[in-house]
Amino acid sequence: MAKKKNKQVLRPWCWYCEREFEDEKVLMQHQKAKHFKCNMCPRRLNTAGGLAVHIQQVHKLEPENLPRIENALPGRDGYEVEIFGMEGIPAPDMADYKRRKEIELGLTPGTITQPQNKRPKIENRPLSEDELRAQLEAHKALMGASEASAPPALPAAGGAVYAAPSQTYAAPPTAVPTPVMSPPGVPPMVPPGAPPFVPGMPPPGFPGQPPFPFLACRPMAPPPGFPPVPPPFAGSPPPGMVPPMAPPFPPGARPPFPPPPFLAPGVPPPGIPPPGFSPPPGLGVPPMPRPPVPGASSASPPPPVGAPGAPATGSASSPAATQNTQQQASTAPPPPLVLPNPSLAQTNPPFKKGTVLKWDDPNFAPEEKRSRHPKYHFSLQSEKTDGPVPNVPPEEMRGKKRARAEDFL
Amino acid sequence: MSFFGASTSSSLVNATGDKDIEVADPPTDSISSISFSPTADYMAVGSWDNNVRIYEVGANGQTQGKAMYSHQGPVLNVCWNKDGTKILSGGADNAGRMFDVTTGQASQVAQHDAPIRVVRWIESPQGGVLATGSWDKTVKYWDLRTPTPVSTVQLPERCYTMDVVYPLMVVGTAERHIQVFNLANPTTPFKTLVSPLKWQTRVVSCFPSANGFAVGSIEGRVAIQWVYVEEKDASNNFSFKCHRRDQSPTSKDQSLVYAVNDISFHPVHGTFSTCGSDGTINFWDKDARTRLKSFEQAPGPIPCTAFNRSGTIFAYAVSYDWSKGHSGMTPGHPNKLMLHACKDEEVKRKPAKR
Repeated sequence: MAKKKNKQVLRPWCWYCEREFEDEKVLMQHQKAKHFKCNMCPRRLNTAGGLAVHIQQVHKLEPENLPRIENALPGRDGYEVEIFGMEGIPAPDMADYKRRKEIELGLTPGTITQPQNKRPKIENRPLSEDELRAQLEAHKALMGASEASAPPALPAAGGAVYAAPSQTYAAPPTAVPTPVMSPPGVPPMVPPGAPPFVPGMPPPGFPGQPPFPFLACRPMAPPPGFPPVPPPFAGSPPPGMVPPMAPPFPPGARPPFPPPPFLAPGVPPPGIPPPGFSPPPGLGVPPMPRPPVPGASSASPPPPVGAPGAPATGSASSPAATQNTQQQASTAPPPPLVLPNPSLAQTNPPFKKGTVLKWDDPNFAPEEKRSRHPKYHFSLQSEKTDGPVPNVPPEEMRGKKRARAEDFL
Repeated sequence: MSFFGASTSSSLVNATGDKDIEVADPPTDSISSISFSPTADYMAVGSWDNNVRIYEVGANGQTQGKAMYSHQGPVLNVCWNKDGTKILSGGADNAGRMFDVTTGQASQVAQHDAPIRVVRWIESPQGGVLATGSWDKTVKYWDLRTPTPVSTVQLPERCYTMDVVYPLMVVGTAERHIQVFNLANPTTPFKTLVSPLKWQTRVVSCFPSANGFAVGSIEGRVAIQWVYVEEKDASNNFSFKCHRRDQSPTSKDQSLVYAVNDISFHPVHGTFSTCGSDGTINFWDKDARTRLKSFEQAPGPIPCTAFNRSGTIFAYAVSYDWSKGHSGMTPGHPNKLMLHACKDEEVKRKPAKR
């Protein structure tokens, strides 16, 4: 009876002894083995009635002398009620059981009868670069404010990043105050401005003021919904982007925020949305639904940028380095887990019977693997950039996320 | 079987309510370690969100967040010093930090070349020393006042787990090495052995009586080992399987085997708890070799557990322990800290029969 309590639908249970089972088939086997067993011979029947008949015919006992059903609760050990699996349970007993289950779980009455969502509905649709980046910024902001933030459902979006089609965005996370931390939920997939973009980055600490100073270097279609985060990615968007973006703008209109420069050169989509929206009246931080496109175009620049970064650093890590590899270049992705002494690599002994070993890596612990994850990886480099951020600075994290994204793909 | 007293703020001493109490304001990411103060009802909780949080636990099970301090990387382990004035923690930022409860200041007191996996306070007759075990294959002893370690012990492999009950210290490393130290001679292993379990060591924990230890592995098995006994008495050592489930209740051919994530000994009775990636907790009596209690399955894996100083409160965390790798880290995964009021029959030894 050590089942988890939050299975939404009521599991099949045995009327005789009130035990619960994963499914009805098991329940029936249980009944057959425990309740409908003849105690005079090894025979097992399917129902109480069958058992009664068997005892009378084979063992020739009188009907009123039939032995009580085994292993049953008092009061439920007769042969009168014909139970088969979950069928035949008298309604009052059924309702009773449901009530009791609800009370035990502390839910309001009636809830157990309908399945409910265990998790909040999170759209697991592929997120575009824009969204990922903005969410990364929001995450950082939240982390900076030391708040708990509900991570968006991003892990599932990993594979789809580079092929991010036009999507309407969920309202971007509104983390604004400090633009430097990233929310825990941002997936490693986010290949936001890879380190190469860093040089061009305007000084951080530019929290969403009217981005006039930025206009000169980034006259691009600023999807208005972007949180006004300093664009660490801003960098130097390929100059080719400028021409396509300039025309769509109403002359003199100013992009509301420094947008993450997602737009790849020559990617057709960017041209589409800007005409679609009118520059928001205020240059504040209106969280408006972003035009779908800019994200899609961001697919192309990050991967080529990220790719040269990753292999270079990958080869830099020597086997001997193992976990002590934080001395690597600042933007190195976490070094791959390598055994300190490869000759001592372990293997799990074979199992006698078929077994699924949940953690089956004999050479590394779950914590080691987890600490390699870009979200958690700590690199010595980050100690140098000892800004207001106790965690890995955004560029680091992004670089690692970039590499991780590569790995995953 | 069911009572109406199942509200979340029910008191721990509620005889009928057997729901565990959830701690308010838990960490935002997986919990890695829980430790109770040896002198007061405070609980320190380390988490992968880089913070250590300190809660005050009231007599009725209410919890109140009292303080928090941060590392630069995920916190992997926390412990208290003997008089409950300092909290020590180690993390993936390769640093060990100390938080002084009286002043509320945090400072770094230890440094390794790789993440610090375990921290333990040793109260030796010469004074208090912090022992830190790290993935850089060393255990270092630190006097908190000096920035260099008092001494360093080389381990055969990365340190995965460690426990101290003076004068016994046991370190479990990768590749199933176990080193036993007598803290009268802390730099040399008293005994080095290979884990009796054939699978990766996940946790070691010393008996409160300091004459043996328990080892848990990734293969749903726990071994009880006595130390300081003759070789012939080693037959007292035994192991048992736990935290396993049959894949389908009908066929016994496929079993799901979960890692044992933590073992905590009851400070008074010497019974112990195990928790696993399958989300269950069990209480065991090693002398009677029986199971005393098994908890209902929680909605997620249980990475760590702890008893409070008197053994009346049992705390456990329900959060993702990376047993399925990155893909298991779903946003809706439960992440909570639970407190359980221990009933006598759950933690007391069964009287020896016959």
